[in-house]
Amino acid sequence: MRFHIEVERPERCIGCYSCVYACSRHLYGTLDPTRVAVFVRVNKSLENPFSVIACRFCTRPECVLACPQGALEVLPEGGVTLTPSKCAGCKNFDCIAACKLGALTLDRRTKVPVICDRCGDCAKFCPHDVFRYEEMKA
Amino acid sequence: MNFRLSQVLHINLTEKVSHIDERPELFDTYLGGAGVASKLLEDECPSRVDPFSPEAPVIFAIGPFTGLLSSMVKTVAMFKSPLTGNLGESHCGGHFATALRFAGFGAVILKGAADVPSLVLIEDSDVRVEAASSLWGLSPLQVEKSIRSPNQQGMESVASIGIAGENGVYYSGLITDRYHHFGRLGLGAIMGGKKLKALKVHGTGEVPLERPTEFKDFYEEIHRRVVQTEEMRKYHDLGTPVNVMLLNEMGALPTKNFTRSRFEKAEGISGERFLEALLERKISCPGCPVGCIHLGGLRTGFNPQHELGRREAFEELELIPYNYEPIFALGSNLEIGDASSVLRLISQCERLGMDAIMTGSVLAWLTEAVEKDMIPRQDIGDLEPRWGDAHTYSQIIENIALVKNQFYKRLALGTSTAAEKYGGKDFAVSIGKNSPAGYATGYGFVVGTLVGARHSHLSNMGYSFDQEAVKSNLSLQQIVEKIADEEDWLYMYYSLVGCYFARGVYDEETIIKALDLIGLPKTGKELRNLGNEIFQRLYRFKVREGFNLAKEEIPKRMTETETLHGKLNPRRLREMVQHYIRLRERQGLHLRREDEALTELLSTTVET
Repeated sequence: MRFHIEVERPERCIGCYSCVYACSRHLYGTLDPTRVAVFVRVNKSLENPFSVIACRFCTRPECVLACPQGALEVLPEGGVTLTPSKCAGCKNFDCIAACKLGALTLDRRTKVPVICDRCGDCAKFCPHDVFRYEEMKA
Repeated sequence: MNFRLSQVLHINLTEKVSHIDERPELFDTYLGGAGVASKLLEDECPSRVDPFSPEAPVIFAIGPFTGLLSSMVKTVAMFKSPLTGNLGESHCGGHFATALRFAGFGAVILKGAADVPSLVLIEDSDVRVEAASSLWGLSPLQVEKSIRSPNQQGMESVASIGIAGENGVYYSGLITDRYHHFGRLGLGAIMGGKKLKALKVHGTGEVPLERPTEFKDFYEEIHRRVVQTEEMRKYHDLGTPVNVMLLNEMGALPTKNFTRSRFEKAEGISGERFLEALLERKISCPGCPVGCIHLGGLRTGFNPQHELGRREAFEELELIPYNYEPIFALGSNLEIGDASSVLRLISQCERLGMDAIMTGSVLAWLTEAVEKDMIPRQDIGDLEPRWGDAHTYSQIIENIALVKNQFYKRLALGTSTAAEKYGGKDFAVSIGKNSPAGYATGYGFVVGTLVGARHSHLSNMGYSFDQEAVKSNLSLQQIVEKIADEEDWLYMYYSLVGCYFARGVYDEETIIKALDLIGLPKTGKELRNLGNEIFQRLYRFKVREGFNLAKEEIPKRMTETETLHGKLNPRRLREMVQHYIRLRERQGLHLRREDEALTELLSTTVET
């Protein structure tokens, strides 16, 4: 099952990181907030609202355009897919810098970007309705 | 990084060096948190050491479920308390525990003292002690904004003391991540004595799951209970301030230095009023989906001549955390019946880094002592405290934090020490040298606070057994037994380290299942025995450091307040303590120092 997911109301975020931890469990079966496709960021102090950042499933994604190996490809419904074998060996990581939203991060172990697979766990575990999400029709 | 905790980080502030000890057996035996910290305190703290001596350690410990399960978010600190001269124990939420976990550490021990104002930086395994004079004198918020990284990966936490800690106020705290506190027993003063202004912990590691599929299902079940069931509803909604009206209606809301247990202006400081008038945001600790930290908006006007005199344009908005205890301590107990005034006083304590409950206790005692003409006029100066006068209270709080003169220095030592100097011990509301929380519920609350290892209402839930006693006719002896059992159980829970608010979710069955999932199978009996062992170790420490439960006094005021059990009878209170001592002695815990017990034995021999 895949979902349309949107960070709709980040101001509602209470900083519980349930989305981040859910993403980590889903993608890698682990607990590692550096290898995720959704981010909760503190803006200098907990007094300031959190930033919640996730892939917006661009239809003309700059991360794809930045990849010289063709490892990232755009999907018809928006968003990207990664061919890790093509990505391996890259040292520039232009894709990471290309996403001006900062929604793409590098898996430090494998040196490939972490890609959202639209599982929807971030939204399902959010207790404060930060995300809008609905199932995608096949 | 391991799935289970094993590393203890030692930091020597004098030498500015650190090393890591691998201690898997320590964590496998004592789980973490209070269990591990109690063992490290026993091993690392020299007997009868001055709390401010460089040799006195500060210990932080997290638990096996930190980051892994909902509401397992706290860090336990242990140290020698300047306030009690004995066991210092404080629990704090925020990002601190999780940041330590991702940095790979289960516990941290700080020893020594820096020669100049300093900062400890823990960046995964890279640990440094750096000079930080430019941070000295700043509020915890200013420190946080100065040193938090702009684009952090992983988890980062900033903990710092305020001016009160720098100046050695005995009830100053260590504030983490703006809204969380190692409060109560004076950790801030100990940090100040070590010239340690702040710690920044940044962890980018990973905690691999051993049985990921099972773990996911288990996590989901806990998450569902925390978010969707009634078990933690109170904390999602009004938060602990819901207690203001509940306690007031039952006649258990301490008011005007515990002279009364109902406050006619309670509605003005109720959880409902805070929600309607002041609540701006809620936040939570990482890994807890509750959001129990309620932030109220405090608007302060400045420069009214600018912005064409439009009010909204010249107000700054500050978000201040509020919960029940500060509302009682700086509200009803000072006869302040207006939510914004209470929030202003909480803000003052936050900015300066002082414990709100003890600050309220000192102010309440002071107001009564001034009324009774016990304080020399020249000491008070222009700042005469009066019930309900938040403006004057705010200035007094600042003077205490700045230790402005000899008079404020005495107030900076806590209620009972100030009363030793000026008199008024009868109404110095202090139990075990700590100021009690806001529950005029009856015998269980007073006895529970007195016998609790850290003299807190969170030690053993005495206040809750008072309410149970009224409903189901518990005897005073039964209350004592429940207090002892609960403290044992909670010490096991505080080793995991669970948040007190989630104790209902983590029942015995759930904890057993959780421990099994991380490869530390335990039976219910083993868990209780472990809690008892931790409690006993802490009490042995207390006795070693001079605590004598049989000789502790309960201030007369505690027997003058109307409670759910009426006014408390001093003889019955004494009997309860005696019953408790006998109960613990049957468990093999000697509550008196050996030399004192020996003197008693010898004098008995002479008499017979």
